[in-house]
Amino acid sequence: MPILVLALLLLLAAAPAGAGPLDHPGYAKAFSCSACHGFAGNSQSSTMPILAGMNAAYLEKALRDYASGKRVSPEMEPYSKMAIQLGAAEVAAYFAAQTKQPTPVASDAAAVVRGRVASQACVVCHGPSGKGDLSKGVPDLTGQPADYLRSQMLLFKADRRSPGDDALKALKALMKSIPDDQFTDLAAYYSSLR
Amino acid sequence: MSVTRRQFLRTTGLGVAVGALGGCAAAMQGDFAPKTGKRVVVIGGGWGGATAAKYVRLADPSIDVILFEPNKEFVSCPFSNLVLSGVRTIDSVTMSYSGLRRHGVRVIHEEVGSIDPAAHRVRVGEGWLLYDKLIVSPGVEFQYEHIEGLRESGDRVLHAWKAGPQTVALENQLHSMPDGGVFVMSVPPVAYRCPPGPYERACQVAWYLKTKKPRAKLIVLDANPNVVSKTALFRKAWEAYPNLEYRGSNKVTKVDPGAKTVTTELGDTVKYDVVNVIPPQRAGTIAVDADLVGADKRWCEVNHVTYESVKHKDIHVIGDSTTGLPVPKSGNIANAMGKIAAAVVTATLNGRPAPEMAPGNTCYSWVSDREAIAVVNAYKIDNGKVVQIEQKLSPAQSTAMAQHAIGWSVSIWNDVLS
Repeated sequence: MPILVLALLLLLAAAPAGAGPLDHPGYAKAFSCSACHGFAGNSQSSTMPILAGMNAAYLEKALRDYASGKRVSPEMEPYSKMAIQLGAAEVAAYFAAQTKQPTPVASDAAAVVRGRVASQACVVCHGPSGKGDLSKGVPDLTGQPADYLRSQMLLFKADRRSPGDDALKALKALMKSIPDDQFTDLAAYYSSLR
Repeated sequence: MSVTRRQFLRTTGLGVAVGALGGCAAAMQGDFAPKTGKRVVVIGGGWGGATAAKYVRLADPSIDVILFEPNKEFVSCPFSNLVLSGVRTIDSVTMSYSGLRRHGVRVIHEEVGSIDPAAHRVRVGEGWLLYDKLIVSPGVEFQYEHIEGLRESGDRVLHAWKAGPQTVALENQLHSMPDGGVFVMSVPPVAYRCPPGPYERACQVAWYLKTKKPRAKLIVLDANPNVVSKTALFRKAWEAYPNLEYRGSNKVTKVDPGAKTVTTELGDTVKYDVVNVIPPQRAGTIAVDADLVGADKRWCEVNHVTYESVKHKDIHVIGDSTTGLPVPKSGNIANAMGKIAAAVVTATLNGRPAPEMAPGNTCYSWVSDREAIAVVNAYKIDNGKVVQIEQKLSPAQSTAMAQHAIGWSVSIWNDVLS
């Protein structure tokens, strides 16, 4: 044990001065994101998604979709253009490398129970754990803020997120069959998963 | 927030020098915090300075960071217009500096008296300390002298343009104004802190009056020819407020709290029951005294990439007191500048290349108790200068934008302070 400690101390001493977050090429490029999405992408608010630990390809696609207007947001359109200008891949890689901390905003317990029951239809793609399947571009929903999840389901239902995207046809058909009230429950449930 | 003296001493780490003196400026003498390693001193704990202090520590915890901020608590200007209308409380926009202390920032609630750029030191009370890099984020100071009678009016004429006691005082004046009364507010000529802020305030006052005092009215006297920011969206929102009378190109030049009148440049005299004069502004006094302002004697010119003052080496100026960048004087911009300046300073102190980053701006304005509008600006660095990539406005006012505004506030307050 003392030898290990000594070795660790030597390693620390050998590390270059100031080695830290600045070493990641995406760290400074993600500065503008943290105002809304939290430091290192761990959003503290109920409406902004957590980017920490998000699959890099998924996030890069989101940035390109916001920039092109396929996903409509007056906030994200300019910011995604900025991120693309800086290097979308580096920004996405930075967030993918961060450790996700589930939303600090607690979900209503009764809504979580109702949401679990209602989630049977979602399991087909997002899996029983809610963690999705990245090989098919299906995102991890767990621990995301509930208001964000609910807003995205409403956008899918109204076909206002990525209209005309064939890969989302089945999802949107499913959303159309779900009453709006139930989105609150589903969002609470997936937000509560860890 | 309450910090005991013991906690203060522990967190500031100033030991005997401050300990024996109770943290009082008058008693700070000599070099009251001898420099032993790399040190960054930050002047001003607002959106820019608090962010910068935190982000230097995040990037390199070996750097000693000392932040000077006279106020014991952080009161957010964004969302403070909602306090006037009673939609929010002042407590809901008031936060502690304890989060910065947890990052190892030494927060000292004192005002810096002067800066000596050549000696790399700042004077506080009768004492001084040394810095390697100085980040100056002093916000704005009011040019009371531009409006006759304003300075002499004292607390009888409020600006409420630095959130805090004046915000609460103006809320009380508004709420105790008789129904049928006239609330007059003045908008200063550009450039001033928060371009859409006065118009959001007009919405909040008009909404309050419409709801609680239906016979009262609001007169907005704007020194500018038209609404400065989000013009069409504000004009649309005002259709719901027939009690709001907007007069462009009506610069207020005189206030008389005895007669309860303001006078405009055009010579019109307007009688009020409650008045809110937002005075013309310049960079905070320390920036003027330290010769950081330009020929206009108002604002500080900086390098667009490093935020280093064009006048003094190793002094970086951020936030509302800067000029020359095509960005608004907003909290979000100050927060972004704080992060960028922190990265530049940290990289430089470690002998590394500094990142080239432009700020971004997200700005929400509440047009009623439940609806908001937004403008977002993205920028890039082009040949060493900040240039805008795009500006986007929300298509209309909505409750959804208001929810985004709340999400933004929670996130960015955390980014600044936690």
